[in-house]
Amino acid sequence: MQSYLLNDPKEEQKEFFITDTNSEQSVFAVTLPVFSFPDVIPRGLFSFSGTGAESSPNPRFKMILWAIIAGTRGGVNRAKILNLVKETPMNANKIATVLNLDHKTVIHHVKILAKNELIVKAEKDYGAEYQLTQIMKENQSALEEIMLKIGTK
Amino acid sequence: MIDFMLAAVVSAFLNIGLLLVVIATYVQNMQVIRSYYTSGLVLVAALLMIQNIVIVLFWSTLYMDDKALMMSADMVSHYLFAINIIQTIGLSVLVWITRR
Repeated sequence: MQSYLLNDPKEEQKEFFITDTNSEQSVFAVTLPVFSFPDVIPRGLFSFSGTGAESSPNPRFKMILWAIIAGTRGGVNRAKILNLVKETPMNANKIATVLNLDHKTVIHHVKILAKNELIVKAEKDYGAEYQLTQIMKENQSALEEIMLKIGTK
Repeated sequence: MIDFMLAAVVSAFLNIGLLLVVIATYVQNMQVIRSYYTSGLVLVAALLMIQNIVIVLFWSTLYMDDKALMMSADMVSHYLFAINIIQTIGLSVLVWITRR
């Protein structure tokens, strides 16, 4: 929590404000508690694209990904599909062939994944390819972490 | 008039059944993905199940022990029913999400 406050751009502004003016107002600003709602909530908890950095996935998005993969039936297959379309966009038929799954199963999984905005379908109707959405791309490291846990099983 | 006590017990058994479905799914996933998340899910679901079993055991003891306790249990059985039925609704949603 302390590091958040130290790195907060708002904090710098406050300091600037204090040193800039010598009026009574600045004293007032120092004595008042400086916590505001966004200060006490960890970064990225209420936004999906806030953290930015590739290496550290958004904690909230990570939880959602874990829930979809580890908390549902067939979640492991969903993780495998995500991992597959990560590199090259594929259509449902090809996914089914590569993962050795039933075509209907794959259709069901991609529907769920698309509903949760993890993958997106290309415009064309027939044999449309699926690829990762922007949010999913930004938080790929979270998927890699889960894939590591799944391993080769 | 509805027998709230009976309804509460039925609801508690429904909860246990729904939790069995949830736990089965979670354990299946845990076998593939071993992590704090999957084991946590199993633990939470297991604790909820223990809670429901305890409810059935405690209230049946309360109900069968003696006449006076049975009457007081009857008087507050609608509270127990409300608690259980809310949990049943919640668990039904969880099962739906989990098995989708």
